[in-house]
Amino acid sequence: MKAIEVEGLSKTFRVKQKERGMGGSIRAIFHPRTEEIRAVDSVSFHVEEGEILAFIGPNGAGKSTTIKMLTGILCPDSGSARVLGIDPSKKRKQLAYEIGTVFGQKEQLWTHLTPNDNFRFFGAIYDMSDAETDRRIGELADIFDLGAFINTPVRSLSLGQRIRCEFAASLIHSPKVLFLDEPTIGLDPVVKENVRSLIKTMNRQLHTTVFLTSHDIGDIEKLCRRIIIVNNGRIVMDDSMEHVKYHYLNQKTVEVRLHGEMSLPPMQGITILKEKEGHIRFEVDTAVMKISDALRSLNLENMEDINISNIPLENIITAIYQTEGKEAAS
Amino acid sequence: MKKYATIYRAVLMETLQYAANVLMGFISFFIIIFVFICLWNYMYDEPASLIAGYTKEQMIWYVIITETLWFGARPAVMARQAASDIRSGNIAYQVNKPYYYPLYILSRFTGEWSIQLPMYAAFAALAGGILVGSLPGFHPVTFLAALPCVVLGITINGVFKLNISLISFWIEDSTPFQWLYDKLILVVGTLFPIEIFPKALQPFFKLTPIYTVCYGPAKLLVDFSTEKCLEILLAQLVYLAAGCALMAFVYGKGVRKLHVNGG
Amino acid sequence: MLTAVKNQIRVCLLSVKYNIMREMLNKVTFLTNIGFMMLNNAAFIIQWIILLHIRKEVGGYAMRDVMLLWGLAASCFGLSHIFFARAFSLPELIINGKLDSWLVQPKNVLFSVITSSTDTSAIGDFLYGILLICIFCFSFGRLLLFLFFTVTGAMILTAYAILLGSLSFWFVRADIFGNNMVNSMISFATYPDGIFKGTARLLLYYVIPVGIEIYLPVQIMRSFDVIGLLFVTGYAVLLFAAATAFFYRGLKRYTSSNLMAARM
Repeated sequence: MKAIEVEGLSKTFRVKQKERGMGGSIRAIFHPRTEEIRAVDSVSFHVEEGEILAFIGPNGAGKSTTIKMLTGILCPDSGSARVLGIDPSKKRKQLAYEIGTVFGQKEQLWTHLTPNDNFRFFGAIYDMSDAETDRRIGELADIFDLGAFINTPVRSLSLGQRIRCEFAASLIHSPKVLFLDEPTIGLDPVVKENVRSLIKTMNRQLHTTVFLTSHDIGDIEKLCRRIIIVNNGRIVMDDSMEHVKYHYLNQKTVEVRLHGEMSLPPMQGITILKEKEGHIRFEVDTAVMKISDALRSLNLENMEDINISNIPLENIITAIYQTEGKEAAS
Repeated sequence: MKKYATIYRAVLMETLQYAANVLMGFISFFIIIFVFICLWNYMYDEPASLIAGYTKEQMIWYVIITETLWFGARPAVMARQAASDIRSGNIAYQVNKPYYYPLYILSRFTGEWSIQLPMYAAFAALAGGILVGSLPGFHPVTFLAALPCVVLGITINGVFKLNISLISFWIEDSTPFQWLYDKLILVVGTLFPIEIFPKALQPFFKLTPIYTVCYGPAKLLVDFSTEKCLEILLAQLVYLAAGCALMAFVYGKGVRKLHVNGG
Repeated sequence: MLTAVKNQIRVCLLSVKYNIMREMLNKVTFLTNIGFMMLNNAAFIIQWIILLHIRKEVGGYAMRDVMLLWGLAASCFGLSHIFFARAFSLPELIINGKLDSWLVQPKNVLFSVITSSTDTSAIGDFLYGILLICIFCFSFGRLLLFLFFTVTGAMILTAYAILLGSLSFWFVRADIFGNNMVNSMISFATYPDGIFKGTARLLLYYVIPVGIEIYLPVQIMRSFDVIGLLFVTGYAVLLFAAATAFFYRGLKRYTSSNLMAARM
């Protein structure tokens, strides 16, 4: 079954434009001119139940606008969206019982209350009885390991503990779909790692569908099996993680340390990045030259160390933004 | 030349934008004036009678002037800023800057009101002129003579409000004290001239800031006399000196306390 | 349906309770805020002693009546700012796109938003109103009527703030206008309607609903009138419903924080 189905979804914002100069200011009073910004432009995709999907793109690409339309915060201009079969713009409340949201850096907890009291408040929001809430708090406390501080006011918790509580609060009503908008933004590496393992745990143990937007390639690489890339309000790629890597990983970086002086003759398919006193780093375009041929051109007897690696996913995605974005725009 | 025309236009537009906001801000001000005009029209059932020595026109103009001072030279923003600087510990950074914090914040306040007050005054003059008629016995020369008293009055008010903000060095929230001070100024000096109170109380009011902050300037504008002007100026200078001395003392103590506690 | 309403009320009350708990974290500040606000209001008794010294009545009101008027105005203001303080800062939330977190909850957005903060000093206003009634014109029946009109008055004041605040969905500059109009309503509320004549009077009943918030209830408390009571009740309910509908109408135009990002 599909958890999310989106068909031709569009959203346009009208921004007031003011002509230059004094005359423009006066004209703007009588004939306000507006410029339309197509934040989301006829986007279609679907997400399977139990999937973790990364929805990524540069700033202003339309990620947040899409997530806000899927959660009922914004009304779409055209197209349709179904989350668990519910139209977010028509049945916002009904949908709200089924989904959870974590918007990075927007804290929802009351800081003067303990996590326990907070969870009770959110339980009340989702019409849960006290007994039901208590049972659920017990479960979440186990999963997220909250036991030690569940009765300490939130303002005295560490950032990591607080984030765990934020997640738990978003899950109090056992949502079937979880929307995460930049969940790791502004967090330190340890907490980031913590959040990622939380998301994995949820997905595995509770079979929650996760819809994730992030700027952080680490989030995507470690969590997602599928990736949708948007740019300028349009989808430029919707593919499995494996496939992306395979397709765009025709570049390898080779780093070699050699005994004594040695230099690489110029060849097609090889770009030298760095060459210094027996330390060479170069890129091989495997579409042009096999990696073994590239290695053969080195004097391997003198080799002390070798390291062959894929290009970081980050570079690949940047390349996709650039090439596909241009195609979409033209 | 074109360059300067562009700069001129940019500034003009920014000011127009600002002026539009100020004009909308006049709604509350106008309504307050309107309420008082209705009130005093009702109170003077015979147009020729005097209340506490004021004719109806004088009484209404007195209130218009004090309300203009109240709205146009509001030290509330400054007082709140100072209190929050102190409470948040921001003041620790300000102390090390090459200026004296109380004077810095007072000069900011002066900058604010010197733009706002003329706008409110122009609006008040217009609204009063239409709804009440011109102020009898008003003369541009007396207006100029009273101007120093107005400026001093506003400054004294700022100093006292700042003094109350400085309490924040010791207690968490000084706003309740601001309310009480404001209400004293409002009820005794702004809504009524002090002559309206029983004779026995009047010498006491002369000893409070009311006399120098709102009653003095407004009285001079409504009913000028050189003698009164000198008396009020003298009182204002005494008040300003006392207020500043108090401020320097309290601020000095507060900063020392800050250093002991390390912010 | 009924359980939905019950659950909504449960959440709103819990929210108000937690708000007050937050304010009570510092007990000294909490209590001085309340106490000084009562003193602050009491300062205006001086104004009325003076005015009523000059004339025996002002706009048909003697001291007792003025205190009734002042008490009701303070209590209405207090009640609305204890329970619905956020209704008075709606434009800020709308313009800066801060409604998101309430939009993803399965509850009425408007009610959740307006109950999400509390103004401590408003407790002082509310208590001051009740105190005035008890001191100046106590009778059990009047106290009951007073409490009832405090509720309708708070509803009218809040609804008026919601109506004007929701204008921000359409016009950016509406916030200053709205604040000024709400403040005007509060200014009018503490003066007897008898001093206003002609068009101004009509304005106070039709454009700024202070007439039905304060003046009419004061009349009814002076001499009881069932039709007036029903009228005030009906008006409060209708105005609140209209304000809610207007808010939801505007909510369709809500742009979250996206426009701000687009402007950068």
